[in-house]
Amino acid sequence: MGKMKIKAKEKGGVVKVKAMFTSVMADKEEAEKKKIKPEFFTYIVAKANGKVVFDATTSGFMSENPLLKFSFTGAKKGDELEFTLTDNNGKVTTGKKKIK
Amino acid sequence: MERRKFLNLGLVAAAAVLAPMTNLYAVNFRETKPDAWKAEKSPEAIKAMFGDAPLKKTDKIKFVAPKLAENGGSIPITLKTDLDIETIALFQDANPRAATVVFSVPEGQKVDYSFRIKMRQTALVTIVAKAKDGTLYTTGKEIDVSIGGCGG
Repeated sequence: MGKMKIKAKEKGGVVKVKAMFTSVMADKEEAEKKKIKPEFFTYIVAKANGKVVFDATTSGFMSENPLLKFSFTGAKKGDELEFTLTDNNGKVTTGKKKIK
Repeated sequence: MERRKFLNLGLVAAAAVLAPMTNLYAVNFRETKPDAWKAEKSPEAIKAMFGDAPLKKTDKIKFVAPKLAENGGSIPITLKTDLDIETIALFQDANPRAATVVFSVPEGQKVDYSFRIKMRQTALVTIVAKAKDGTLYTTGKEIDVSIGGCGG
């Protein structure tokens, strides 16, 4: 866990974001079946210029290595987009990417 | 007496205005609505998340999903709408618990989300969105899942 790929592109005031995170996203039942520890993101937040632009509370029923796509307004080329991910074990991962 | 009533009304109104304002940014629904994540079926989860208010069916929320998903482990979903939405959530009846993902839409942003979910079996997927004015909108679709991956 911990790896993430982020792509952010601004065009006409709208920033399109594609983000992929590495996680098995296994809830209790699935983890038992696979004989691993439950591990999934519970909370994903993205900020640009100190403002929250994306906010999702997630569960283990999202697919493995979740891929998210969304768009937002209020940022321009060169601004930084910052992701904060929290998993069910309380582990926090962050990742930054400049908007192209 | 009249004046007191009026003052009370004012207080209630102020509280009603203030409460949503504090919720504008970053709401971790796992902390604020823990019961919704334990519910096994969609109706219970929706009730725990959004309360008892009636759900209004709408076609203004674009909910794109395959009718037949060959791989239940990765079903692409797209949600898009121009309505002023505060919270939008996805529930399904295929997994041990219904709540799958809840987006809290930041101020000034529109709903435009794509992601993938897991489903163990064919089931109804329900989208519930809470508008800024408090109206609850809903839309849903049954997604066929063939776990074997043979397309049948």
